[in-house]
Amino acid sequence: MTAVQPVAMLSDRYQRAFTIAVVFLVAGWHLAGAGGQLLHDRSAYGSFAFQGAMWLVMALAIAAGSVLVLRGAPAWRPAWTVAVIALAASTAAAAASPAGQMLAVNWAWGSAGWMGVLVLLRRRFAEIALFLACETLATLGVLAWDGLNRSDLAGFLAVLAWSTGAQVAVAAGVKALDGAAGQAADAARSEHAARERAATAEIIRAARHTRWLALQESAVPLVAELAAGTADPGDARVRVRCAVQAARLRRLLAEGDEVPGSLLHELHASADVAERRGVAIEIETAGPLPQVPGPARRIITDAAIAVLTVALSQARITLVAVAAGIAVSFVADTGAGVRMPAVGEGVAIEQQQDGSMLWAEARWNIR
Amino acid sequence: MEHPVTVVIIEDHPVVTEGVASWIRSDPGQRVRLVHTAPGLTGLRAGPGPQADVIILDLELSGEMVTSQIPDLVAAGYRVVAFSGHSDPAIVMETLDNGAHAYVSKEEGRDHLVEAVLAAATDRPYVTRSQARAILADQHPARPALSEQERQALLLWFQGMSKASVGLRMSISENTVRQYISRARAKYAATGRTAPSKDALLARAIEDGVIKPGEILPYRSFARTAADRPSPGGPGR
Repeated sequence: MTAVQPVAMLSDRYQRAFTIAVVFLVAGWHLAGAGGQLLHDRSAYGSFAFQGAMWLVMALAIAAGSVLVLRGAPAWRPAWTVAVIALAASTAAAAASPAGQMLAVNWAWGSAGWMGVLVLLRRRFAEIALFLACETLATLGVLAWDGLNRSDLAGFLAVLAWSTGAQVAVAAGVKALDGAAGQAADAARSEHAARERAATAEIIRAARHTRWLALQESAVPLVAELAAGTADPGDARVRVRCAVQAARLRRLLAEGDEVPGSLLHELHASADVAERRGVAIEIETAGPLPQVPGPARRIITDAAIAVLTVALSQARITLVAVAAGIAVSFVADTGAGVRMPAVGEGVAIEQQQDGSMLWAEARWNIR
Repeated sequence: MEHPVTVVIIEDHPVVTEGVASWIRSDPGQRVRLVHTAPGLTGLRAGPGPQADVIILDLELSGEMVTSQIPDLVAAGYRVVAFSGHSDPAIVMETLDNGAHAYVSKEEGRDHLVEAVLAAATDRPYVTRSQARAILADQHPARPALSEQERQALLLWFQGMSKASVGLRMSISENTVRQYISRARAKYAATGRTAPSKDALLARAIEDGVIKPGEILPYRSFARTAADRPSPGGPGR
């Protein structure tokens, strides 16, 4: 039980660590890389204020995107909204750069690319590829508008190679790590399930072994004696021994039943001593039984012990759900009336003697 | 009784068949005659008409529950007394609903089996403690309404008292105790699926004065009453 949570959390925890790493990478890039270049080339832009405003828009988009991804895998709509805002800001910044110098002074391409990687990280890889392709085409479009020449194209390809290449590499790396963490968690989970199955099997085996031991010391010798002919079924004492063993076997079967509450089990325990004395005991229930609180249970089991300790050869205990509680009765050949425990805790006790047979009933009512 | 009641034992364990046969043999009045034993039901259904008055039927033959075969046996004219190692109330109820006359668990066999067979042969109810348990445990919404007295008599009987002691406890005669318990059983015969054995039990209960026709009317299905009722314009009797 306890190991399930850490196992389930393991892969979540790794994924979160990767996300935080990417958040730092993107924020660091935008602050130091893009921000540094913006300040360095401030005199080269037509309008530094416009570039600054775009940088701020992008910074806000990165902040929003970070919040989104730290909350869990974002839905496509918010993820793409943020991504498209970043793409628009980046394209606008590129378009506003002086013609012919765009590649040299553009700070936005990298930031927008990283931004896309950040918000689309937990979505399909194709979405990241699509975003990066859109961004590349937008930048290429700006270059073409300005009048594309060979050296521009070479520069463009160089920037594409290291910037977009790095972004694709990071996205692919995180995907691979996610997969590995998921596999590790699956392996741990199935190992845990196997351990749990083994533990359950061990509990069942131990319970069977206990029952087997109980039969070894009681029923098995009796059956062996009967088979060998040393025990005579005509002998009343042998018949009593058989009856006791039969009652025990029945009780072993009853213990496998799904019975709510511990009253039944406490009654079984109370019956055990009388059984050892040679009294044949039957315990039966009828209907779904209510839970009986501890103090009331104690009075009922005390009544059981009072009856069973004076039973001569046989006793029957029944538990029946009645309108407002439970009726626990004892019928036994006690020969005389029995001194019963004091009533209280919602338990009332009645008894009737008919010849050698005693009937007693402890009734607990929900108050 | 002029003729002994004839009985067939269907039981797949020879040792149990032998034990039941010995109970039948040791009946002081020799009121029951064993005419046939078989480990399964196959041979029985082939023959024309019932071979015996009553079948003592083990509910689990070669590992399979045969409760669903009871309606066929009852339709063929047999009275069925179920004799089973199972005492689960749901199984008891299903067996009785299918038309068995009585249910005797293997623990109760020695004290009750022969008496249950005799009661079945005359279509009279016989309620063992395992049957009383099943009635007390019954949570079915369509279960018949039992009177407080009937319920109390069943409860004390299930608890293990003799019927005489139950009478003493309830300040009524032993005969009245039998009446209450039989009436509860008859009410169950009036519910659920229809079977000739249940009708016979009910008719006998009315004849014996165990139950009045008015007490069972509410439990018959309305469709049946409507079909039986003569139309207002039809010929009168």
